Amino acid sequence: MRQLFANRTSSILLQEKCDEADEKSVSKQKPGDESGNTVVVAPPEFRFMYPEFLPDPAMERRNRLKEKLERIDMLQRRSVVEIPEFYTGSVMAVTVADANSPNKFARFVGICIQRGGSGLRAWFILRNVVDKQGVEILYEMYCPLIQKIEVLRLERRLDESLLYLRDALPEYSTFPLDMEPERRLNNSVVPINPLKVKLRPRPWLERWERQNLQGVEDLNLPQRFYDKAEKVAKPWEKYDLMLQYRKTIPAEEQEKIFSDVHSQLQQQEFKRKMRRRRGTDNEQ
Amino acid sequence: MNQADLSKLVSALRIAVKPKPRRFSCPEGPAGRLEKLRATVTALVKYERIELNHPRAEEAQGYAERLISDAIRNGDCHKHTMEMADYWLNEKQLVHKLFKVLAPRYQNYNSSFTRLVLGPKTYPGYYVGTAILELKGNPFPALQPETHNYHYWLHNVLLEEAKKEFRSARQDRNAGTTESVTAES
Repeated sequence: MRQLFANRTSSILLQEKCDEADEKSVSKQKPGDESGNTVVVAPPEFRFMYPEFLPDPAMERRNRLKEKLERIDMLQRRSVVEIPEFYTGSVMAVTVADANSPNKFARFVGICIQRGGSGLRAWFILRNVVDKQGVEILYEMYCPLIQKIEVLRLERRLDESLLYLRDALPEYSTFPLDMEPERRLNNSVVPINPLKVKLRPRPWLERWERQNLQGVEDLNLPQRFYDKAEKVAKPWEKYDLMLQYRKTIPAEEQEKIFSDVHSQLQQQEFKRKMRRRRGTDNEQ
Repeated sequence: MNQADLSKLVSALRIAVKPKPRRFSCPEGPAGRLEKLRATVTALVKYERIELNHPRAEEAQGYAERLISDAIRNGDCHKHTMEMADYWLNEKQLVHKLFKVLAPRYQNYNSSFTRLVLGPKTYPGYYVGTAILELKGNPFPALQPETHNYHYWLHNVLLEEAKKEFRSARQDRNAGTTESVTAES
């Protein structure tokens, strides 16, 4: 089996250019599985919970065999380390094996501001403000150095990309490093936090007024900024059906991929629950 | 590497989709490209068979297929699909035609909904010529004859056998004449 794991270290301090914020996607309630055929179909919200199982939509880079092998490797890794469900806006803690630290482990807590990549190269960026210094770390989810990923607060925000937190007041990105995991009141629906963030005065890293951000308070810029944004905008892209098609994986393929994968994921979740229950029983 | 966009569910298209879109030269620029394709898609839905340049036909085929597949998947009560139909079809009665006529017609199709046939081009033709873009199931006579191998039809069977007999008879005749020639010599 060829080595498909990424060779990069999981911790890279970032100062990269940001992408346009995507439209928000609302998580749906879990419907029942489709009846009729014996083919098992995953519930539709799987594509939001495990987006890295979907391949890169760029046609030139599609390779069905490579994707299948990658999925096998991803499930293998998930059977060893629990990679929980999380979204942009969730507060997470990641423990990484670090040869140079005194405890041999390095733990970082932060809010997930962006996630991307597909397959074994799936990554997410955690941001926190430590000693008045903003710190962002990009973690590759399937890197073998990662020991533990905990979700301390599972929630979603109004935008798919929270890169504007870099230009926001520091209190919106500060989370205590010894934060405890919070218990969810309602396990079936992931709450959407309607928080509107206040930005610092200009200059900013990006032209936020051009990005149609929902989670930001009124920017209060002079009218010329909005006029230029209108001039530069591409309103026809909203109607460009083929552009959308080239950016998405068709629904039939998504169903096929998740039907392969979801039975194994469910089994893993079940085993973990049993282990946890047995663990608490032993303690008692 | 990018993550796939999750906000919309899209049906798989049954045509060959090229990785990059074609750019058309328009005075308005990229906005004008969609305006031109809009006119083409409207004409296709209205007339069901149009003759045009091949590059524009290929691009319009993709958009037409997307529109019809969305109409089939989501129906007319879906807000986004109705917005797209409203944008892409310049005549509003064609929106009704899309949802009431074309969507039911193509409901159970396992193939593409449109057909692109290459048309004539002037000699020597160093460019890609014209093309005919049509919606399948249209009322006009077929552009290309149906080529099926009806070898099992009775008259074809009899003709095949007659051919075999003729050839074997000719071989015997040739064999007879050569034998007589060798006998004489």
